[in-house]
Amino acid sequence: MKLVIWFVMAVAAAYGQGLDPAALLRPPTDTWPTYNGDYSGRRFSPLKQINRDNAASLTLAWAYQAHTVTIKSTPLEVNGTLYFTVPDNVWAIDARTGRQIWHYRYESHGGDHIGHRGVAMYGDWLYFTTPDCHLVSLNAKDGSARWNIELADVKLGYFSTMAPLVIRNHVITGVSGDVTDIPGFLDAIDPETGKRQWRWYTRPSPGEPGAETWPKEGDAMSHGGGMTWMTGTYDPDLNLLYWGIGNPNPVLAGAGRLGENLYTCSIVALNPDSGKLVWSFQPSPHDVHDWDAVQTPVVFDAEFHGAKRKLLAQASRNGYFFVLDRTNGKNLLTKPFIETNWASGIDNLGRPVGKPSKDPSPDGALVEPGSDGSTNWMSPSFDSLTGLFYVSARRIFSEFYLTAEGKAEGWGGRDRNIWANSVLEAIDYQTGDIRWRHELGRGEGVAGIMTTAGGVLFTADNSGNLVALDALDGRTLWHAGAGGRTENCPMSYELDGRQYVVMAANDVLFAWALPEKY
Amino acid sequence: MDRGQKLFVQSCGFCHGNDATGSRAPDLIRSTSVNHDENGNTVGPIIRSGRPDKGMPGFPLSDAQIADIAAFLHSRVLAALNSASVEGDYPLQKLLTGNAAAGKAFFEGAGGCTGCHSSTGDFAGIGGKYQPIVLQSRILYPGGARSSVTVTPPSGKHVTGTLVHIDEFIVALRDDSGWYHSWPRAQVEAKVSDPLEAHRKLLYVYTDANIHDLFAYLEGLK
Repeated sequence: MKLVIWFVMAVAAAYGQGLDPAALLRPPTDTWPTYNGDYSGRRFSPLKQINRDNAASLTLAWAYQAHTVTIKSTPLEVNGTLYFTVPDNVWAIDARTGRQIWHYRYESHGGDHIGHRGVAMYGDWLYFTTPDCHLVSLNAKDGSARWNIELADVKLGYFSTMAPLVIRNHVITGVSGDVTDIPGFLDAIDPETGKRQWRWYTRPSPGEPGAETWPKEGDAMSHGGGMTWMTGTYDPDLNLLYWGIGNPNPVLAGAGRLGENLYTCSIVALNPDSGKLVWSFQPSPHDVHDWDAVQTPVVFDAEFHGAKRKLLAQASRNGYFFVLDRTNGKNLLTKPFIETNWASGIDNLGRPVGKPSKDPSPDGALVEPGSDGSTNWMSPSFDSLTGLFYVSARRIFSEFYLTAEGKAEGWGGRDRNIWANSVLEAIDYQTGDIRWRHELGRGEGVAGIMTTAGGVLFTADNSGNLVALDALDGRTLWHAGAGGRTENCPMSYELDGRQYVVMAANDVLFAWALPEKY
Repeated sequence: MDRGQKLFVQSCGFCHGNDATGSRAPDLIRSTSVNHDENGNTVGPIIRSGRPDKGMPGFPLSDAQIADIAAFLHSRVLAALNSASVEGDYPLQKLLTGNAAAGKAFFEGAGGCTGCHSSTGDFAGIGGKYQPIVLQSRILYPGGARSSVTVTPPSGKHVTGTLVHIDEFIVALRDDSGWYHSWPRAQVEAKVSDPLEAHRKLLYVYTDANIHDLFAYLEGLK
């Protein structure tokens, strides 16, 4: 114990108000130091001051009006300060009061401003990706920029929206591209100098294993997409980095890229020190529906049919729930978590097999889900106390059209949304059975989920209500009409003995807590 | 741009493909030089000097000709960027793959469409009312139809009106005289009648052939 106290004091001395990467190895209590709260991606807070018996009395602690576009980022909380973003903007606000400490504005030169997920932190420094595909290091003290590097060429269609992941002295950073036929990659950047340590392209090089999943002739593989949109997860014991990879390009037109198109629409395990691929699993081989596999690859250890296993689970955009052995990527379970109409079965590797009749066609094919997916980037959550995996699921029908004639470029087609509604689902990770459902209303919900040791699940419905549900059975414990749409993911921290839960609606951050008498 | 296309086909198409998507030489829509180009400032020098190391000869073209070729290439890049478009001008002939007679049979039979619609009533001339792709979308799910709702408070005196909002916590309606009312869901009975329910049920039933047949039938009702 003495040793632990000494260590914590040494870290505090070394990093001032900043964050030592070692904090990333602890459960998120007084600190929420990374996009998902910790490396596991479980979005599970061990805090239990707010619990299923008292959640009905939650009250507003403060609100911060950012006067900007919709907040889609998850704030970090480090030493009493929250750091959150929208494209081109970072704020530091007081986690006790919601008062602004500083606001940084970046001037981007072009690029896609579709959304932003948040920052990463290492020591006294923040790492912020930009619409013109740069990575900026900011001083957490005052928001001043220290360095700014280009990750990729914005004029080719690259941009970045993701919150990087810090592993020791690696800032793992991904990129996005939505239309143009460019190759995706993952970079490890030196946190001090901004120099690149390694780059892993999400496609093999000619002659490497996996290259046989692309046409031999032409440029399909070298321009095949596979973006690294979202923050990955990490297992410190195995020293494996897990990342979900985006869809192939051209997006809806597959004729020019026959084959499985590795490592698009895959979950991959990399060595974070070398960027070398260790294993991969592909939820959507040869995707033609924009169903990337960038949803959080959630890491947990649990019993699986009687044996203690190191597991990785993903509720994927294509509507299927996957459980893998994360030591080797072997599939343990594949099961749809919502109705879908595009697959004829599951192959011997655990991958759904697409029906050719549900590929986009010039006269239209009715597919469930649509390109927006049965779920998407919003965080799922795994609660080891209930043994349930929670996902924001959508029933989306969409008509898919193939427009490409000749060699396809870009999307090569599009779908038109027909109808959608949303439901929060609690999945038994051992069977894939849905233990309970909680309807969220018409349209496509995009609010993330957090569970807590208090037995409370936080999310939002499609009608502007922030909600707290009982993680055991999905019954509603509390709600608040927030007057806007929630497009970020809940997070929680404890300060001065009080637990706060922070969620956004539109451009306002709300912090909820029990009344002060608690 | 048309001038540029002609020039491109003459001088470049043999290797880069007449549509610039590549053949023996690279796809230019995906080219860094083209994507950085402004009025020929990066592609011009390459066209004039060639790339001898890669077997590309130079072409002695004028500034105006280079600008025309650059304009054509930029139009090809733009077409790729806009390739996700399936808007109102989507061509009818691509959609007309179904059998109108089978569509009529589905409309009057298995589809159950005549429960609400009639080819001589509300659907008379429907094929001329909407752009083809909009008609196909609306066959599957037409927006805009309002649900009605009857709310019964504990007092027992029910109110019927047009549904304005319903979620887990609140139900709201506009009554026949135009006034808005809302109630906590927990304190009232709310019975919603949604005219589009049959459309949602069909989404789980349709084959793609049903959809294309139905479209061919309704598109023909001019």
